[in-house]
Amino acid sequence: MAALLETAGLSKRFGGLVATNGVDVAIAAGEIRGLIGPNGAGKTTLVNLLTGLYAPDAGDIRLAGESIAGLSPHRIARKGLLRSFQVTRLFGNLSLLDNLLLPYLARGSGAVAEGLARARHFLDLTRLAPLAEAPAKSLSGGQRALLQVVCGFMVPELKCYVLDEPFAGINPVIKDRIIELILADNAERGTTFLIVSHEMTVMRRLCPKITVMIEGRVIAEGTLEEVAARRDVVEAYLGKTLA
Amino acid sequence: MFSSELLAQTLIAGVMIGVIYALMALGITFIYSIVKMINWAMGEFYMIGSFVQYALVVYLLGPDLWWVAAPLSAATVFLLGMVIEPILIKPMFTQGIERRDDYATVVTIALLLLLRNLATALGGPYQRNPGSDLPTVMIGPLPESGARFAAFLCTLLALALFYLLLKRTWLGLALRAAAQSRIGVETAGIDILRLDQVAFGIGVALAAIAGALLAPVFFVFPTNGVVTTVKGFEIIVIGGLGSIPGALVAGILLGVVESLGTAFISSPYQNAYGFLLVLLILLIRPSGLFGERVRQA
Amino acid sequence: MPQSRALAGALAVALTATAGIVAAKAADEVIIGLEIPLSPPGDPTAGQLIRRGGELAVEYVNTKMGGVAGGKKIALAVEDSQGRTEAGIAGYRRLATEEHAVGVTGFFHSSVNIAVNEVANEIGVPTIATQASAAEITAKHYDIAFRTHAIDPIRVEAFREFVKKKGFKRIAMVAETTDYGIGISDEMEQQTKAAGDKVELMKVTFDHATTDLTPQLLQVKAFKPDLVINIAVGQPLDLMIDQATTLGILPQTAMLISYDAPARPQYWKLHPQDGNGIYFIAYYSPKEKLSDLGDWLVKTYEEKYKEPPIYSSLNGFGDVMILAQAVDQAKSTDPKAVVKALETGTFKSWAAAPVTFPAAKGVYWHNWSPPILVIHYTKPNEDWRQAEVVLEHVGTAPQ
Ligand SMILES: Nc1ncnc2c1ncn2[C@@H]1O[C@H](COP(=O)(O)OP(=O)(O)O)[C@@H](O)[C@H]1O
Ligand SMILES: [Mg+2]
Repeated sequence: MAALLETAGLSKRFGGLVATNGVDVAIAAGEIRGLIGPNGAGKTTLVNLLTGLYAPDAGDIRLAGESIAGLSPHRIARKGLLRSFQVTRLFGNLSLLDNLLLPYLARGSGAVAEGLARARHFLDLTRLAPLAEAPAKSLSGGQRALLQVVCGFMVPELKCYVLDEPFAGINPVIKDRIIELILADNAERGTTFLIVSHEMTVMRRLCPKITVMIEGRVIAEGTLEEVAARRDVVEAYLGKTLA
Repeated sequence: MFSSELLAQTLIAGVMIGVIYALMALGITFIYSIVKMINWAMGEFYMIGSFVQYALVVYLLGPDLWWVAAPLSAATVFLLGMVIEPILIKPMFTQGIERRDDYATVVTIALLLLLRNLATALGGPYQRNPGSDLPTVMIGPLPESGARFAAFLCTLLALALFYLLLKRTWLGLALRAAAQSRIGVETAGIDILRLDQVAFGIGVALAAIAGALLAPVFFVFPTNGVVTTVKGFEIIVIGGLGSIPGALVAGILLGVVESLGTAFISSPYQNAYGFLLVLLILLIRPSGLFGERVRQA
Repeated sequence: MPQSRALAGALAVALTATAGIVAAKAADEVIIGLEIPLSPPGDPTAGQLIRRGGELAVEYVNTKMGGVAGGKKIALAVEDSQGRTEAGIAGYRRLATEEHAVGVTGFFHSSVNIAVNEVANEIGVPTIATQASAAEITAKHYDIAFRTHAIDPIRVEAFREFVKKKGFKRIAMVAETTDYGIGISDEMEQQTKAAGDKVELMKVTFDHATTDLTPQLLQVKAFKPDLVINIAVGQPLDLMIDQATTLGILPQTAMLISYDAPARPQYWKLHPQDGNGIYFIAYYSPKEKLSDLGDWLVKTYEEKYKEPPIYSSLNGFGDVMILAQAVDQAKSTDPKAVVKALETGTFKSWAAAPVTFPAAKGVYWHNWSPPILVIHYTKPNEDWRQAEVVLEHVGTAPQ
């Protein structure tokens, strides 16, 4: 099966520090891939490279066979590769509806009425509907994380969704809602996911295959059990048991 | 020399000029909120707006059609802004420039000098007046020149249209979002550089409307934008940089304070009252009345 | 790299934009400094009109006169005073120390001229006031301070003669808070009191950078004057005419404008309706006989600018001519020698009468004054050259 999202020798340095170092990953269409690694391993940097916030110093990125390395973030988004941020980036002064409408309308096509219908559908699904007109800054941390994930689902052309630590620090109920959204979208539209997370129970539930990064390099790939069995991985987590 | 009639007249005069001041500040604050740069050449776009208005009224439309000329002047300056932005401002984001504030200051001051000298070379030494046939109107106890009253009303109209654009259109949604997070709108799929261009065009067009409407009141000459810029920056400090309601409230506040101070405290310090207000705000609320430090959720 | 390139590009644009201000200078030229307002809060119109005169003087000296002090060409170095003292002082310093000007003239705003003279008194490069009338400019008896313009006392004598002639009783002065506005309005109060004139005087002042005179004019209206004296310079002068009309002060009440701005060709374009009935001070009437220099200037100016010159251009021309003649008489570009020549020499300017700068008493020190006229527009679009001359006041130094 051809990879939907693929990198080859992807590198990015900040001064003397090589944050990602020759990263090769290939994620199949429809796959839900996990990405783990200790803090500072370069996961967010990889996400930023994939979504155009950083230009790579070396290497290539292909989305459905087409190189997207060096494209600006909005072009990459319009090709169906969207992302969420580790620190949520909502528009605090805009209402929940407007926050959802924005990525839908940003594509340059699509009627406002359809966008509104879609937004209301997701607000119902996530039980945020009563807050539809409230500014996003009035939400709790968990609700923000939830809303941010939904923003990507607003895009009908979504092909690949990269989520940077969507579960960090939120309560189990909302965590479950996000998991359900991911699984449903994957089942309905065949959306491909790359999920960065430290939550091993969630990763086990969502991701048949996991990539491990340490110090900018990919050092292991396989099921959670396989990578957790590797000594170098365990050592990187300083003796913490993974599973 | 206090009388309640003088008080009423002075208050009305203050509000009228204040609303016009607000329009001058709005463009500066709006461009800043999106493009995150201060456009020091704003007064020069006011000046160009007034020159275009003059040319349209005198050579093409006549004083009766001033209200046709004003939106045309604004549109002309909008297009001019759309042409200038990619040449001067865009490199700030695409050329890996680190000290963007310095770059924006140098570039817009260069633009200011260029436009002013160009206007002096083309326009000659004299002030011009497109003329106005509007009769004097009574606003309560205050007689006001027709042109000034028309400028006041049209300013209100322009502010209302600008508000609708922001609140009711897709472009407005994108602009409001970009004011909060440039990266946020980019990763949602919006071409932020294109949005910058449009925002710059709209911002300078706001200054141009003021210039066009006030052409018969403050006249048309190469340096007529200077006062605009000074008042604009005072208002921004008072109202808070990047805040649109702040610009409106601060504009009216400035107009009223200047007017009352001049009539009832001491007339020669008209412009000092504004500065005092600025200093006061800097002391008690350095971010301005409506300034917000953290804008992201 | 891209950053410095972009910055360099921006600077280049800025420099090209300002390049026109400083005239190119060839070696061995005699430099005459021209310090004029070219941007607000100064009066840029006045500055440019003075500059036109100065440039024509250069043309005259270099072509008709064949240069000065043995055939040297003269050139102008121009500085924008912006009507502000700090900018004025900086400009004078540049002209005196970097451009090595033999003298600096063109002064229009009194405040600028007064401040510059303090510095000039130390540096030694002489100044000639072209259209700045505050007493202090010459009253301090600095060796380097000269003037070819009407001074406050003479101008106010003309005001009072006008008031008497027309029988005005209640007079409101609306004056800007500059040395010009305060100087004239104070002088008016003093002379009126000293002479026991039977008039009620009222004075209201405003900041020169104002955009709205409504608050001041509301006070004037409440005073119910029969004459308003408009002591503003530049844009506020025009604003006052428009706003006084709006508030119903004009045209019932007479207005006297304190200098010759209404003679400028723009006047009727700015005030097509409310400009009629205005009285204004002028220093020159085309009906008077001029010197041959004056005749050459009027002819050349009209050919070049398609409009008649007014006093600003005439005096800008005259003052550059005077400095050129002083260098010629001194046979030196040393500022000390130029000062000496100015004090002792007799010069030709645009007016028929020769110009001298005697070491006279009080404000009449180093001062040559043109006659002061009061001109009255009696119909819209009237050519000022044909308008009624209400009076002609020839001020002379008290013996
Ligand atoms: N913009 C940047 N400038 C300099 N160093 C950075 C930048 N972004 C990340 N880094 C560094 O790169 C390394 C990888 O960071 P990051 O990708 O955020 O790791 P992770 O997301 O895996 O915790 C860290 O050492 C971090 O300090
Ligand atoms: Mg991270």
